[in-house]
Amino acid sequence: MADLNDGRLDLRRSRGRFLAFAVITVLILAALGGRMFQLQVLGGEDYARRAAADRTVEVPIAAPRGLVFDRQGRPVAVNTPSWTVKIRPADLPEHERRRVLARIARLTDVPASLIDGRLSAFQGSPFDLVPVLRGVDREAALIIGEESESLPGVVVEVDAVREYLDEAGAPNGELLAHILGYTGPISREELGARQAGDYLRDDVIGKSGIEASFEAELRGIPGARLMERDASGRLLEVIETIRDPVPGDNLMLTIDADVQRLAETALTWGMDVAGVSQSVIIVMNPQTGEILAMVSLPAYDNNLFARGISIDDFSIYLADPDRPLRNHAIADIYPPGSTYKLVTGIAALEEGVTTASRKWPTYGCYQIPGAPEGECLFDWNRQGFGPLDMVDAFAKSSDTFFYQMAIGTGIDPLAEWAHELGFGARSGIRLPGEEPGIIASTEWARQQGRSGVFTGELAQAGIGQNVIAVTPLQVLNAYAAVANGGDLMRPMVVRGETDAAGQLVREYAPERIHAIDADPSTLQTMRIGAREVITSGHAYNIRDLELPGALSGKTGTAEFGELTEEGTLPFHSWFVAYLPSSAGATDAELAVLSFNYSAVVPGNVSAEVVKYFLQLHYDLDQDLRLDPNDFSLVTAN
Amino acid sequence: MGVATATLVDSVKDRGWRHFDLQLLLYVLLLIAVGVVMGYSAAFNTEAGATAGMSQTVKTVIWATIGLTLFFVASSVDYHWLRTLAAPIYLVVLGLLTLTMLIGTNLFGAQMSVTVAGLDFQFSEVSKVLMIAVLAAYLAGRRERIGRLGTILVAGALMALPTFLVFRQPDLGTALVFVGILVGMLFLSGASLGWMGLFAAAAIGAAPIAVGMLHDYQRQRLFCFLDPYADPQGACYQLVQALNAVGSGGWLGRGLTVGGEGQRGYIPVQSTDFIFTVVAEDLGFVGGTIVLTLFGLLVWRILLIGWQAQDAFGMMIAVGLASMIVFQTSVNVGMVIGIMPVTGIPLPFVTYGGSSLISLLFGMGILQSIRMRSHKPTL
Repeated sequence: MADLNDGRLDLRRSRGRFLAFAVITVLILAALGGRMFQLQVLGGEDYARRAAADRTVEVPIAAPRGLVFDRQGRPVAVNTPSWTVKIRPADLPEHERRRVLARIARLTDVPASLIDGRLSAFQGSPFDLVPVLRGVDREAALIIGEESESLPGVVVEVDAVREYLDEAGAPNGELLAHILGYTGPISREELGARQAGDYLRDDVIGKSGIEASFEAELRGIPGARLMERDASGRLLEVIETIRDPVPGDNLMLTIDADVQRLAETALTWGMDVAGVSQSVIIVMNPQTGEILAMVSLPAYDNNLFARGISIDDFSIYLADPDRPLRNHAIADIYPPGSTYKLVTGIAALEEGVTTASRKWPTYGCYQIPGAPEGECLFDWNRQGFGPLDMVDAFAKSSDTFFYQMAIGTGIDPLAEWAHELGFGARSGIRLPGEEPGIIASTEWARQQGRSGVFTGELAQAGIGQNVIAVTPLQVLNAYAAVANGGDLMRPMVVRGETDAAGQLVREYAPERIHAIDADPSTLQTMRIGAREVITSGHAYNIRDLELPGALSGKTGTAEFGELTEEGTLPFHSWFVAYLPSSAGATDAELAVLSFNYSAVVPGNVSAEVVKYFLQLHYDLDQDLRLDPNDFSLVTAN
Repeated sequence: MGVATATLVDSVKDRGWRHFDLQLLLYVLLLIAVGVVMGYSAAFNTEAGATAGMSQTVKTVIWATIGLTLFFVASSVDYHWLRTLAAPIYLVVLGLLTLTMLIGTNLFGAQMSVTVAGLDFQFSEVSKVLMIAVLAAYLAGRRERIGRLGTILVAGALMALPTFLVFRQPDLGTALVFVGILVGMLFLSGASLGWMGLFAAAAIGAAPIAVGMLHDYQRQRLFCFLDPYADPQGACYQLVQALNAVGSGGWLGRGLTVGGEGQRGYIPVQSTDFIFTVVAEDLGFVGGTIVLTLFGLLVWRILLIGWQAQDAFGMMIAVGLASMIVFQTSVNVGMVIGIMPVTGIPLPFVTYGGSSLISLLFGMGILQSIRMRSHKPTL
């Protein structure tokens, strides 16, 4: 080759550098070819195998969630098909996103921003299907399915969702909402708290009620199948089923949906006539601790949650001052008022403060020992009842009698007896959110930076005021323990599990927490007293109910807060009763408690509610309901 | 010296057309054909199926037609107009890249194209060819001062502005191509090897700083090639799938349009930057080697045109285009087979995309123009 630089004014071109450039190019291409040889020829099989492994994917098969049946075998929580719109982000081109989401939003009548938010919040692989809308109605689901050509990345799938039924099989979740709770999509925190692989990102988990507390039993074991996926990760066909899913166990409740409905009817009536906005009624078998009904009002519609509750609906529940999402029977604590005199009476008898027959004077206003002259605590009638023994004092609910009992017993023995009767500790009912309550003691006072409890507080503790706070379930359970002869039972809501074929796989036997360490005669005295409350006390005409047994029980009120316009304090009203065959007998199989928060009518709404419930439950021809507005309640302490 | 105003008709009569490099055109057409077939094969099994493959093919044919027209126009016109207009061209490049940065549409998170009359046009593609002309004009004018430090500094400064603009889009790949073009052209222009070595050493020393300026996703993808299986589902997903696809090709490949059975469907953006995985999987080692050989032959023709160019300007344009093609090919293929970091650099002529194809054919047209006006048209 001639030297082309000859006669040029231009740059000299360097043969060496051109050669070097060519050599480098050849070396690079050779290196690329060598690497391809290594990948394709030497390692080809290896990569082909790896590629094949990538083409299949193990897909979980959801296990059908266990059903829930009531005491009589009626289904109250079932699974129904629901259409879910899912989006695979990798298949949804960015420039189409706005149009596609807007179309779905229009078809399903939800804001596009909601869908966009859910899609953006998803953090998994872009090849995962992200559920963006659950509970889509059938028509919208079908249209979306038909338009799939123009909605890239959008898939409509049928999922099973929970449906909660009432006693008639209608989808009215409110009846049992606080018992059953609800399921919902697992949150990131819940997912993180569980073992990897147990739950999937878009899995469903029990959030509340027995759906949460029996999650392990209800969930079952998911199966798995090997599926082929296509180029973009879309699932094509099942290659094999690796594991069949094991359905969750069905639960049999102790709750009787019929009884639940009657209890709810009675309570709703009482709330209406007395203008109460927060109430509880619990029905239990005192022999076993089985809860037959537990109603906390206001309730919420758990079907809204199961279908995926909207933010608006959820905000309404959260903003409601009566807290419909909480089960007031176990999750909230209130002063028990006179119902707590059961504890004070047992403690005084057991600690030798008094005997069953010893009479004590009662006062219009009881002078607290050691306090300045004139600092006294009134009896509820402000005049006293003359000398009373335990049974009469319990029947008349004399406050000044029980002040003396409490002061004689002392705060710590009183607290111990409260614990003995199940107060101050969770009962262990298998429902989430139970509160232990507050029982005043020296230890409790010290935690508040005081050396001990004042005598005035001790007297107040004796009548369940001020320094005592309990759950309605605890009150009922304490009376049930006395009613059954001294066994503190663990309240239960589920009595058995059956498998998918209906075979009983597990039975929950009644469980005794402990036997109450009191002399049988002490408990007998209190049972007689409880019977006297009905027959000669001031429970009014409830004694006239023609019941198949000797109804026994106790009223209670606890004042709190500030004076109303009428000059009375708002108060909680309580009524707890059980039905033995005869006075003092320990064979009662029914105990009922009603609690009404903040009534300002004069009567004891709770006693009316229980009365009405008993009329309904025993199908009595009588209707002895009184209008609580028409009689003086201060007398119904 | 050719006549800048020569018309196509006039120039056909010109003896220059007898020196038209048919080999160059042949290799280019073969590579475009590979792109069309592979693009069709890649799209064949996507959701829209063969229809999409066909519309992609039709588009490529339209672009190739536009590109070839431009190719013949550029061939027939004396390439020196580029030298005359070097300064305005430079300003136009800066203007276009700034425009792209400001109003560009969003493609996978990066501002990379401007939509003109419905056609997405990536100015960064054509700016690569134009920048080669600008640098060639500058370097050719350095003559005996080529060996001085100033050559490297000024050439570097000229290239730094557009590089910065595309880097900010962010289009790391094109920014790197600019650097590759600069290095290749400086080397073949006869710039001082000592100074170049020193700058190279400084660049390597400064590499950690540059890496620190990258976006997280760029950095993750960049380092995947060191250990792709460290994060096979995340940042390295593409690379792992690409390796599996290439590996499963074997000697002769799995055949065209194997689709659902094929592996490459798992590779996002496969008809663009990862097109070589389709070549490797469908046509195997043999097919891949043939494509690499085509690139080798093409570069050989370009270097030959450069060596025989009638002046340094023509030579520098040729070596610039050679540098660009060598750089893009080695980084693109190297990325797909896991020996280079993953960056968005298209495979010349093969990767689906109108801007790239039209720009390259324009560049090849300039080469023909150089070839037809060379001092000694034969070996």
